[in-house]
Amino acid sequence: MNDEAATVVADLEAGIGTLTRLDAASVDATVVVVEPTLRSIDVARRAVAVADEQRQGRVVVVANKVADGGDRARIEEAFGDRVLVVVPEDPAVDAADRLGVSPIDHASSAPAVEALESLAEALGLVSE
Amino acid sequence: MAESATMIRVAFVGKGGAGKSTIAGTFARLLARRGQPVLALDSDPMPGLPYALGVSVDDQPIPDDVVVPGPEGGPRWVLRPDLDAVAIVDRYAARCPDGVRYLQFGNLWGSAVKLQQAQHAWSQVVAELDRDRWHLVGDLPGGTRQAMFGWARYADSVCVVVEPTVKSLHTAARLLRLSQAKWGPSNLVLVVNKARDRADADRISERLGVRPAAVVPHDPDASQADRRGAAPLDAAPDGAVAHAVDALVDQVASLYSLDEEVAR
Repeated sequence: MNDEAATVVADLEAGIGTLTRLDAASVDATVVVVEPTLRSIDVARRAVAVADEQRQGRVVVVANKVADGGDRARIEEAFGDRVLVVVPEDPAVDAADRLGVSPIDHASSAPAVEALESLAEALGLVSE
Repeated sequence: MAESATMIRVAFVGKGGAGKSTIAGTFARLLARRGQPVLALDSDPMPGLPYALGVSVDDQPIPDDVVVPGPEGGPRWVLRPDLDAVAIVDRYAARCPDGVRYLQFGNLWGSAVKLQQAQHAWSQVVAELDRDRWHLVGDLPGGTRQAMFGWARYADSVCVVVEPTVKSLHTAARLLRLSQAKWGPSNLVLVVNKARDRADADRISERLGVRPAAVVPHDPDASQADRRGAAPLDAAPDGAVAHAVDALVDQVASLYSLDEEVAR
Protein backbone atom coordinates (compact mmCIF):
# COMPACT_ATOMS: atom_id res chain seq x y z
CA MET A 1 0.00 0.00 0.00
CA ASN A 2 1.50 3.30 -1.06
CA ASP A 3 -1.43 5.53 -0.31
CA GLU A 4 -0.59 6.79 3.14
CA ALA A 5 -3.99 8.42 3.52
CA ALA A 6 -5.74 5.03 3.45
CA THR A 7 -6.60 3.00 6.51
CA VAL A 8 -6.66 -0.75 5.97
CA VAL A 9 -8.84 -2.79 8.32
CA ALA A 10 -8.32 -6.55 8.15
CA ASP A 11 -10.57 -9.09 9.82
CA LEU A 12 -8.54 -12.25 10.46
CA GLU A 13 -9.69 -15.81 10.84
CA ALA A 14 -10.69 -17.03 14.31
CA GLY A 15 -7.81 -18.30 16.44
CA ILE A 16 -4.22 -17.27 15.81
CA GLY A 17 -3.44 -19.14 12.56
CA THR A 18 -3.43 -16.11 10.24
CA LEU A 19 -1.67 -13.99 12.83
CA THR A 20 1.23 -16.44 13.06
CA ARG A 21 1.65 -16.35 9.28
CA LEU A 22 1.76 -12.55 8.92
CA ASP A 23 5.19 -11.09 8.23
CA ALA A 24 6.64 -9.46 11.33
CA ALA A 25 5.70 -5.82 11.85
CA SER A 26 3.03 -5.86 9.09
CA VAL A 27 0.48 -3.66 10.82
CA ASP A 28 0.33 -0.52 12.94
CA ALA A 29 -2.05 -2.00 15.47
CA THR A 30 -3.51 -5.37 16.39
CA VAL A 31 -6.93 -5.41 18.01
CA VAL A 32 -7.63 -8.61 19.92
CA VAL A 33 -11.36 -9.10 20.48
CA VAL A 34 -12.31 -11.11 23.53
CA GLU A 35 -15.59 -12.14 25.10
CA PRO A 36 -15.88 -12.81 28.82
CA THR A 37 -15.62 -16.59 28.70
CA LEU A 38 -12.64 -18.48 30.07
CA ARG A 39 -12.12 -20.10 26.69
CA SER A 40 -12.11 -16.79 24.79
CA ILE A 41 -9.73 -15.26 27.33
CA ASP A 42 -7.39 -18.25 26.89
CA VAL A 43 -7.31 -17.81 23.09
CA ALA A 44 -6.94 -14.02 23.37
CA ARG A 45 -3.91 -14.43 25.66
CA ARG A 46 -2.28 -16.49 22.94
CA ALA A 47 -3.15 -13.89 20.28
CA VAL A 48 -1.67 -11.08 22.38
CA ALA A 49 1.52 -13.09 22.92
CA VAL A 50 1.94 -13.82 19.20
CA ALA A 51 1.19 -10.24 18.17
CA ASP A 52 3.73 -8.95 20.71
CA GLU A 53 6.36 -11.44 19.65
CA GLN A 54 5.85 -10.57 15.98
CA ARG A 55 5.90 -6.82 16.74
CA GLN A 56 2.48 -6.29 15.14
CA GLY A 57 2.20 -2.64 16.19
CA ARG A 58 0.29 -1.57 19.24
CA VAL A 59 -1.51 -4.61 20.62
CA VAL A 60 -4.81 -3.75 22.30
CA VAL A 61 -7.85 -5.62 23.54
CA VAL A 62 -11.54 -4.95 22.89
CA ALA A 63 -13.77 -6.56 25.51
CA ASN A 64 -16.95 -7.63 23.72
CA LYS A 65 -20.36 -8.84 24.96
CA VAL A 66 -19.72 -7.48 28.45
CA ALA A 67 -22.91 -7.95 30.48
CA ASP A 68 -21.85 -6.75 33.92
CA GLY A 69 -19.06 -5.68 36.22
CA GLY A 70 -17.96 -9.28 36.72
CA ASP A 71 -17.44 -9.72 32.99
CA ARG A 72 -15.43 -6.54 32.80
CA ALA A 73 -13.32 -7.45 35.82
CA ARG A 74 -12.54 -10.90 34.39
CA ILE A 75 -11.20 -9.39 31.17
CA GLU A 76 -9.36 -6.51 32.84
CA GLU A 77 -7.71 -8.93 35.23
CA ALA A 78 -6.36 -10.87 32.26
CA PHE A 79 -5.30 -7.94 30.07
CA GLY A 80 -4.95 -4.89 32.33
CA ASP A 81 -4.24 -1.63 30.53
CA ARG A 82 -4.44 -3.22 27.12
CA VAL A 83 -8.24 -3.12 27.34
CA LEU A 84 -9.02 -0.08 25.22
CA VAL A 85 -12.76 -0.35 24.69
CA VAL A 86 -15.51 -2.22 26.52
CA VAL A 87 -18.46 -3.15 24.29
CA PRO A 88 -21.64 -4.06 26.17
CA GLU A 89 -23.74 -7.09 25.39
CA ASP A 90 -26.40 -5.59 23.16
CA PRO A 91 -29.60 -7.17 21.82
CA ALA A 92 -29.37 -4.83 18.81
CA VAL A 93 -26.17 -6.58 17.69
CA ASP A 94 -27.81 -10.00 18.10
CA ALA A 95 -30.78 -8.80 16.06
CA ALA A 96 -28.49 -7.46 13.31
CA ASP A 97 -26.59 -10.77 13.24
CA ARG A 98 -29.79 -12.70 12.82
CA LEU A 99 -30.88 -10.40 9.99
CA GLY A 100 -27.45 -10.46 8.36
CA VAL A 101 -27.08 -6.69 8.37
CA SER A 102 -24.37 -4.44 9.75
CA PRO A 103 -25.04 -3.34 13.33
CA ILE A 104 -24.28 0.27 12.36
CA ASP A 105 -27.01 0.15 9.70
CA HIS A 106 -29.43 -1.70 11.91
CA ALA A 107 -29.10 0.48 15.01
CA SER A 108 -26.51 3.23 14.69
CA SER A 109 -27.12 4.51 18.21
CA ALA A 110 -27.08 1.10 19.92
CA PRO A 111 -24.75 1.05 22.95
CA ALA A 112 -22.40 -1.49 21.31
CA VAL A 113 -22.05 0.62 18.17
CA GLU A 114 -21.42 3.75 20.20
CA ALA A 115 -18.78 1.99 22.25
CA LEU A 116 -16.93 1.08 19.08
CA GLU A 117 -16.96 4.64 17.83
CA SER A 118 -14.30 5.41 20.37
CA LEU A 119 -11.99 2.66 19.12
CA ALA A 120 -10.59 4.45 16.07
CA GLU A 121 -9.92 7.51 18.18
CA ALA A 122 -8.33 5.51 20.97
CA LEU A 123 -6.05 3.85 18.44
CA GLY A 124 -4.99 7.26 17.17
CA LEU A 125 -6.33 6.54 13.69
CA VAL A 126 -8.51 9.63 13.61
CA SER A 127 -7.73 13.02 15.02
CA GLU A 128 -11.10 13.60 16.67
CA MET B 1 -20.24 -46.52 6.17
CA ALA B 2 -20.91 -50.21 6.45
CA GLU B 3 -24.56 -50.83 7.37
CA SER B 4 -23.34 -52.97 10.20
CA ALA B 5 -21.01 -50.38 11.78
CA THR B 6 -21.30 -50.81 15.51
CA MET B 7 -19.24 -47.85 16.62
CA ILE B 8 -20.19 -44.22 16.01
CA ARG B 9 -17.68 -42.02 14.23
CA VAL B 10 -18.97 -38.49 14.26
CA ALA B 11 -17.30 -35.10 13.74
CA PHE B 12 -18.69 -31.65 14.55
CA VAL B 13 -18.16 -28.73 12.16
CA GLY B 14 -19.57 -25.21 11.80
CA LYS B 15 -18.71 -21.54 11.98
CA GLY B 16 -16.70 -20.30 14.96
CA GLY B 17 -18.97 -19.61 17.93
CA ALA B 18 -21.77 -21.88 16.65
CA GLY B 19 -21.23 -24.24 19.58
CA LYS B 20 -19.39 -27.20 18.02
CA SER B 21 -17.12 -27.82 20.99
CA THR B 22 -19.90 -27.43 23.53
CA ILE B 23 -22.10 -29.92 21.71
CA ALA B 24 -19.26 -32.33 20.82
CA GLY B 25 -17.99 -32.47 24.42
CA THR B 26 -21.49 -32.98 25.80
CA PHE B 27 -22.23 -35.61 23.15
CA ALA B 28 -19.06 -37.53 24.02
CA ARG B 29 -19.88 -37.58 27.74
CA LEU B 30 -23.52 -38.55 27.27
CA LEU B 31 -22.53 -41.40 24.97
CA ALA B 32 -19.96 -42.56 27.53
CA ARG B 33 -22.68 -42.52 30.19
CA ARG B 34 -24.43 -45.20 28.17
CA GLY B 35 -21.54 -47.45 29.09
CA GLN B 36 -19.63 -46.96 25.86
CA PRO B 37 -15.89 -46.43 25.21
CA VAL B 38 -15.59 -42.93 23.77
CA LEU B 39 -12.52 -41.23 22.35
CA ALA B 40 -12.88 -37.48 21.78
CA LEU B 41 -10.68 -36.18 18.96
CA ASP B 42 -9.65 -32.55 18.73
CA SER B 43 -7.91 -30.99 15.73
CA ASP B 44 -8.38 -27.38 16.80
CA PRO B 45 -5.07 -25.77 17.82
CA MET B 46 -7.04 -23.40 20.05
CA PRO B 47 -8.55 -24.79 23.25
CA GLY B 48 -12.33 -25.30 23.14
CA LEU B 49 -13.21 -28.96 23.60
CA PRO B 50 -11.44 -29.44 26.98
CA TYR B 51 -13.77 -26.88 28.55
CA ALA B 52 -16.83 -28.76 27.28
CA LEU B 53 -15.44 -32.10 28.41
CA GLY B 54 -14.57 -30.74 31.84
CA VAL B 55 -10.84 -31.40 31.67
CA SER B 56 -7.95 -28.97 32.01
CA VAL B 57 -6.16 -27.46 29.01
CA ASP B 58 -2.89 -29.18 28.12
CA ASP B 59 -0.86 -27.43 25.42
CA GLN B 60 1.39 -30.32 24.49
CA PRO B 61 -0.02 -33.70 25.50
CA ILE B 62 1.84 -35.72 22.83
CA PRO B 63 5.62 -35.36 23.15
CA ASP B 64 7.72 -34.83 20.02
CA ASP B 65 9.75 -37.98 20.55
CA VAL B 66 6.87 -40.32 19.66
CA VAL B 67 7.73 -39.80 15.99
CA VAL B 68 10.76 -40.32 13.78
CA PRO B 69 11.39 -38.91 10.28
CA GLY B 70 9.19 -40.66 7.72
CA PRO B 71 10.34 -42.46 4.59
CA GLU B 72 11.21 -40.48 1.49
CA GLY B 73 8.07 -39.52 -0.40
CA GLY B 74 5.91 -40.31 2.64
CA PRO B 75 4.76 -38.24 5.62
CA ARG B 76 7.44 -36.07 7.21
CA TRP B 77 7.01 -37.79 10.59
CA VAL B 78 5.77 -41.27 11.47
CA LEU B 79 5.23 -43.06 14.78
CA ARG B 80 8.29 -44.78 16.24
CA PRO B 81 8.31 -48.49 15.35
CA ASP B 82 7.72 -49.45 19.00
CA LEU B 83 4.52 -47.36 19.19
CA ASP B 84 1.11 -47.80 17.62
CA ALA B 85 -2.31 -46.14 17.83
CA VAL B 86 -3.33 -48.15 20.91
CA ALA B 87 -0.15 -47.21 22.78
CA ILE B 88 -0.52 -43.51 21.97
CA VAL B 89 -4.15 -43.40 23.13
CA ASP B 90 -3.25 -45.37 26.22
CA ARG B 91 -0.40 -43.04 27.20
CA TYR B 92 -1.42 -39.62 25.93
CA ALA B 93 -5.23 -39.42 25.69
CA ALA B 94 -6.43 -37.45 28.73
CA ARG B 95 -8.91 -39.06 31.12
CA CYS B 96 -12.09 -37.00 31.32
CA PRO B 97 -15.29 -37.18 33.39
CA ASP B 98 -17.64 -40.07 32.54
CA GLY B 99 -14.70 -42.11 31.27
CA VAL B 100 -14.20 -40.24 27.99
CA ARG B 101 -10.64 -40.31 26.68
CA TYR B 102 -9.45 -37.19 24.87
CA LEU B 103 -6.76 -37.07 22.21
CA GLN B 104 -5.55 -33.76 20.86
CA PHE B 105 -2.31 -32.67 19.26
CA GLY B 106 -2.07 -29.59 21.42
CA ASN B 107 -2.61 -25.86 21.51
CA LEU B 108 -0.50 -23.11 20.01
CA TRP B 109 1.09 -20.04 21.50
CA GLY B 110 2.87 -19.21 18.27
CA SER B 111 3.97 -20.76 15.00
CA ALA B 112 2.29 -24.03 13.99
CA VAL B 113 5.75 -25.54 13.43
CA LYS B 114 5.93 -26.19 17.16
CA LEU B 115 3.14 -28.77 17.00
CA GLN B 116 4.13 -30.40 13.73
CA GLN B 117 5.41 -33.66 15.20
CA ALA B 118 2.45 -34.09 17.56
CA GLN B 119 0.11 -33.31 14.68
CA HIS B 120 1.62 -36.02 12.47
CA ALA B 121 1.40 -38.50 15.34
CA TRP B 122 -2.24 -37.56 15.95
CA SER B 123 -3.17 -37.96 12.27
CA GLN B 124 -1.51 -41.36 12.04
CA VAL B 125 -3.20 -42.58 15.21
CA VAL B 126 -6.61 -41.43 14.01
CA ALA B 127 -6.12 -43.13 10.64
CA GLU B 128 -5.01 -46.40 12.25
CA LEU B 129 -7.50 -46.66 15.12
CA ASP B 130 -9.30 -49.97 15.28
CA ARG B 131 -12.88 -49.48 14.06
CA ASP B 132 -14.29 -51.68 16.84
CA ARG B 133 -12.43 -50.23 19.82
CA TRP B 134 -13.82 -46.73 20.29
CA HIS B 135 -16.71 -44.51 19.40
CA LEU B 136 -15.06 -41.40 17.95
CA VAL B 137 -16.40 -37.91 18.61
CA GLY B 138 -14.41 -35.23 16.81
CA ASP B 139 -14.28 -31.44 17.03
CA LEU B 140 -12.85 -29.34 14.19
CA PRO B 141 -11.85 -25.65 14.28
CA GLY B 142 -14.49 -23.16 13.16
CA GLY B 143 -14.99 -22.53 9.46
CA THR B 144 -14.69 -24.70 6.40
CA ARG B 145 -10.97 -25.08 5.84
CA GLN B 146 -10.09 -28.21 7.85
CA ALA B 147 -13.36 -29.87 6.93
CA MET B 148 -12.80 -29.32 3.20
CA PHE B 149 -9.22 -30.63 3.46
CA GLY B 150 -10.48 -33.93 4.83
CA TRP B 151 -9.57 -33.57 8.52
CA ALA B 152 -12.83 -35.32 9.41
CA ARG B 153 -12.25 -38.25 7.09
CA TYR B 154 -12.25 -40.58 10.12
CA ALA B 155 -15.95 -39.77 10.57
CA ASP B 156 -18.76 -41.39 8.67
CA SER B 157 -21.23 -38.95 10.24
CA VAL B 158 -20.65 -35.20 10.24
CA CYS B 159 -22.79 -32.86 12.35
CA VAL B 160 -23.02 -29.35 10.93
CA VAL B 161 -23.75 -27.02 13.85
CA VAL B 162 -25.49 -23.77 12.99
CA GLU B 163 -26.75 -20.87 15.09
CA PRO B 164 -29.52 -18.58 13.85
CA THR B 165 -27.29 -15.88 12.35
CA VAL B 166 -26.84 -15.24 8.65
CA LYS B 167 -23.05 -15.70 8.88
CA SER B 168 -23.43 -19.08 10.54
CA LEU B 169 -25.97 -20.13 7.88
CA HIS B 170 -23.55 -19.26 5.07
CA THR B 171 -20.86 -21.49 6.58
CA ALA B 172 -23.35 -24.29 7.22
CA ALA B 173 -24.55 -24.16 3.61
CA ARG B 174 -20.97 -24.71 2.44
CA LEU B 175 -20.34 -27.47 4.95
CA LEU B 176 -23.47 -29.29 3.85
CA ARG B 177 -21.74 -29.73 0.49
CA LEU B 178 -19.18 -31.97 2.20
CA SER B 179 -21.11 -34.97 0.94
CA GLN B 180 -19.64 -34.15 -2.48
CA ALA B 181 -16.08 -34.35 -1.15
CA LYS B 182 -13.94 -37.31 -2.19
CA TRP B 183 -13.92 -38.64 1.40
CA GLY B 184 -17.50 -37.41 1.93
CA PRO B 185 -19.24 -38.75 5.04
CA SER B 186 -22.18 -41.14 4.68
CA ASN B 187 -24.35 -39.04 6.96
CA LEU B 188 -24.60 -35.27 7.14
CA VAL B 189 -26.61 -34.16 10.14
CA LEU B 190 -27.82 -30.62 10.81
CA VAL B 191 -27.86 -29.39 14.41
CA VAL B 192 -29.46 -26.04 15.21
CA ASN B 193 -27.93 -24.42 18.29
CA LYS B 194 -28.99 -21.41 20.38
CA ALA B 195 -32.54 -21.52 18.99
CA ARG B 196 -34.76 -19.00 20.80
CA ASP B 197 -37.95 -20.57 19.51
CA ARG B 198 -39.28 -23.10 17.03
CA ALA B 199 -39.39 -20.40 14.35
CA ASP B 200 -35.58 -20.10 14.53
CA ALA B 201 -35.19 -23.77 13.69
CA ASP B 202 -37.86 -23.64 11.00
CA ARG B 203 -36.21 -20.66 9.32
CA ILE B 204 -32.83 -22.39 9.24
CA SER B 205 -34.37 -25.60 7.99
CA GLU B 206 -36.10 -23.74 5.19
CA ARG B 207 -32.99 -21.78 4.19
CA LEU B 208 -30.76 -24.85 4.11
CA GLY B 209 -33.31 -27.30 2.78
CA VAL B 210 -32.44 -29.78 5.52
CA ARG B 211 -34.43 -30.80 8.58
CA PRO B 212 -32.40 -30.56 11.79
CA ALA B 213 -31.70 -33.79 13.66
CA ALA B 214 -31.65 -31.83 16.90
CA VAL B 215 -32.52 -28.34 18.08
CA VAL B 216 -30.51 -27.11 21.06
CA PRO B 217 -32.27 -24.18 22.72
CA HIS B 218 -30.65 -20.88 23.64
CA ASP B 219 -30.02 -21.20 27.35
CA PRO B 220 -28.88 -18.25 29.49
CA ASP B 221 -27.58 -20.73 32.09
CA ALA B 222 -25.31 -22.24 29.44
CA SER B 223 -23.90 -18.77 28.67
CA GLN B 224 -23.09 -18.32 32.34
CA ALA B 225 -21.38 -21.72 32.45
CA ASP B 226 -19.38 -20.70 29.37
CA ARG B 227 -18.17 -17.61 31.19
CA ARG B 228 -16.85 -19.75 34.02
CA GLY B 229 -15.38 -22.30 31.63
CA ALA B 230 -17.60 -24.99 33.13
CA ALA B 231 -18.76 -27.97 31.09
CA PRO B 232 -22.51 -27.75 30.35
CA LEU B 233 -23.04 -31.19 31.85
CA ASP B 234 -21.39 -30.15 35.12
CA ALA B 235 -23.08 -26.75 35.30
CA ALA B 236 -26.57 -27.99 34.42
CA PRO B 237 -26.72 -31.79 34.33
CA ASP B 238 -30.47 -31.69 33.79
CA GLY B 239 -30.53 -28.54 31.67
CA ALA B 240 -32.02 -27.88 28.26
CA VAL B 241 -28.67 -28.30 26.49
CA ALA B 242 -28.05 -31.71 28.07
CA HIS B 243 -31.51 -32.93 27.09
CA ALA B 244 -31.24 -31.72 23.50
CA VAL B 245 -27.78 -33.26 23.04
CA ASP B 246 -28.99 -36.54 24.54
CA ALA B 247 -31.69 -36.58 21.87
CA LEU B 248 -28.95 -35.96 19.29
CA VAL B 249 -27.05 -38.99 20.60
CA ASP B 250 -30.23 -41.02 19.95
CA GLN B 251 -30.49 -39.64 16.43
CA VAL B 252 -26.87 -40.33 15.52
CA ALA B 253 -26.95 -43.75 17.20
CA SER B 254 -29.94 -44.67 15.05
CA LEU B 255 -27.66 -44.45 12.00
CA TYR B 256 -25.59 -47.35 13.35
CA SER B 257 -26.19 -50.94 14.36
CA LEU B 258 -25.86 -50.43 18.09
CA ASP B 259 -27.18 -52.43 21.00
CA GLU B 260 -30.68 -51.39 21.97
CA GLU B 261 -29.46 -50.15 25.31
CA VAL B 262 -27.05 -47.73 23.68
CA ALA B 263 -29.36 -46.63 20.93
CA ARG B 264 -32.30 -46.35 23.36
